[in-house]
Amino acid sequence: MSSFKKKVSSEQIALTGTRSSPGSTSTIITSTGIPSLDDLLGGGLPLSCSLLVQTSDPHSSYGELVHKYFIAQGLVTRQNVCVISENPLNLVKGCMWLPNSGNIQYNSPQPVSTMNINDDEETGQSSNEKIKIAWRYEQMKQFQTTVPSSALSGTEESCSTFDLTCRIPDSIINSALQSGQLSLFDVGIIGMDDVSAPCSALVLRQIEKVIKAGSPSTPLRICIPALGSPEWGDVNSKDILRFLHRFRTLLKQHAHTCASISLPCHVSRPFWDGPGWSQKLGWCVDGSITLSAFSANPALTALSPSHHGLVEIRSLPAPHTLLSPSDKFSTLRGLSSSATSSGGGGENNLAFKCTRKRLVFETLHLDVEGGVGERRTTPSTGTVMQGVTNDNTLDQSLLPRTAVAAVEVLLEEDLKVSVASSITSTVQMEGSVAAMVPNSSMIDTLGSVGGEVCSKGKKPKKRVAFQSDRPDLYDF
Amino acid sequence: MSFTPLDLPQGIIQLITDELPSPADFILHQKLISHVKESKEGKRIILSVSEGWAKWQAIASKHNVNLAQEENSGSLTFVDISSFEPEESGLRQIFNVVVEALKECTPDSLVILDDVSTLEWIGVSTLDILRFCRALRAQCIKHQATLLIRHHLVVYGMPDQLFRDLMQLATYHVDVRPLASGRSGAVSGEVALHLGPNALPPASVKPIPRSRAVQYRLTDSGSIFFERGNSHGVL
Repeated sequence: MSSFKKKVSSEQIALTGTRSSPGSTSTIITSTGIPSLDDLLGGGLPLSCSLLVQTSDPHSSYGELVHKYFIAQGLVTRQNVCVISENPLNLVKGCMWLPNSGNIQYNSPQPVSTMNINDDEETGQSSNEKIKIAWRYEQMKQFQTTVPSSALSGTEESCSTFDLTCRIPDSIINSALQSGQLSLFDVGIIGMDDVSAPCSALVLRQIEKVIKAGSPSTPLRICIPALGSPEWGDVNSKDILRFLHRFRTLLKQHAHTCASISLPCHVSRPFWDGPGWSQKLGWCVDGSITLSAFSANPALTALSPSHHGLVEIRSLPAPHTLLSPSDKFSTLRGLSSSATSSGGGGENNLAFKCTRKRLVFETLHLDVEGGVGERRTTPSTGTVMQGVTNDNTLDQSLLPRTAVAAVEVLLEEDLKVSVASSITSTVQMEGSVAAMVPNSSMIDTLGSVGGEVCSKGKKPKKRVAFQSDRPDLYDF
Repeated sequence: MSFTPLDLPQGIIQLITDELPSPADFILHQKLISHVKESKEGKRIILSVSEGWAKWQAIASKHNVNLAQEENSGSLTFVDISSFEPEESGLRQIFNVVVEALKECTPDSLVILDDVSTLEWIGVSTLDILRFCRALRAQCIKHQATLLIRHHLVVYGMPDQLFRDLMQLATYHVDVRPLASGRSGAVSGEVALHLGPNALPPASVKPIPRSRAVQYRLTDSGSIFFERGNSHGVL
């Protein structure tokens, strides 16, 4: 056998639901169940690594949702799954599943196709395709804020397409429990085994047992959705960091395991244990991301209505390289393109949204006014025009705005009327001070002129904020 | 450029600090690899708290260095500190391992302690860590070995007490920081070099202040240093 063939050992290939990282053949990665999260991690979560999802918002459970995807993906790909939580069966029962009744697809050896995404965005795109697009824009790539589910997987699908409207069938949970594929541990019950020892130490012992009981040829996913919750006893920051550190060491020793961890919302707060708490957590795990939901702050919801929260990447797994694979291969982060292009730009801002059928991580852009997405064509001057045309309803409080609007309309229509030009100059010279002082004669004049203009052309001219192509604006 | 923060003389005590967005692993790995390549006779000791043996091996193998072979030959000692459970049994046992390993070494040996912050966070007392580092330093000075101590700074601009104490032991302080403007594909971070209280005469090594910190870009297995404004993206 040649040395070239030796490099890829048959043991690594045999692991179900995994593939080698695009960056390094020695790194084996597995999907988290969310294609866009896989992209952020550089293709998937590497085996022997842990991912910490921090969610500090008490009124949402996006962290738990990420774990449900993680569990569901493990069950679909026939990997071993171990859940350690309070009432873990409830958590597993709440997992999403494949659309079109996954039972048949689950039993089939082939992975499920991702083509049948029937989401609301997809249907929106298909209706948009009928629109005739100007030739010069027709060839351009459609603007995308996230990655398609099959972007990284190449020929073989590595990430299943789950549907949040589907629940995992009970039959699958039962068969997984019976076959030993799924093992559930209630933290409260584990803690009762030995009252003298701390709960975290008992949990670690339990995990070690599970790892040893399983076969090294089947990947094992360990899911701890609420590390440090009240069921874990009186834990302090040292206990949590010690647990994470030992757990990480344990994962490193067993190359077929990976883990997804979350903390309760109060422990996830950045300053729970004084300044630098998030950083300490980030150092004790391989990958750490923070999901800051907007539900904690209504102002942010108003700012970005199409997203449900911000994503912050604190650290990323790099088990065999200095540079994380994500830096090279993540489309969403956008670092790879900037490294090769002349720009050398920074990382994209990231956000997440949860639609009816799926959770998506995507790039965060300015809203419509920033020039992204659909174009807003509703005339914004409509209300102002009404104020100008109707003399009787002219309110004193509307005066400054009305005066300015009238001037703008006059300029646009390019009137040569001497009266109008005199008013224009008056307003221009006196500026806003003149406009602020109510003057009945001026109101009358303005009103009559405005009425004259609008009676000429009923339809108000559409205006855009950007007027650089009108140099005559300043020519008077 | 002629000088990088990695080109420091042998037999010094070097404190390396980093932050979460800019880990200083690359300095430790490069030091080890260049030490293996340059000093065939020297002894190398890695005291690792968080990072597994697999990563050290994987990165070294990309530079055609076989660490497993080094370990078998006895020129490299890898100590997984976690396996000693230092938060319960203390650091004395680990120190004994180091003393044993340094017993018959040549002057140009290398000791890497990666890292002291995690030890503190998992419950080893600051005083114990400091005593351990002081004892390590004494051993390294005795054997003319180079000692690298890595420490994580978690709050920018607020150095902790352990850092202040360690700084007193160091010959040089290598300060690895992320860019203030955030992550970038072209620049991974910047490195400044400060002189410690026990620094050699200034003529031997010129310090690099933060205002003129050298920038670097990470690759899979190494790093590229360049002056500020000379990144791939700019030129």
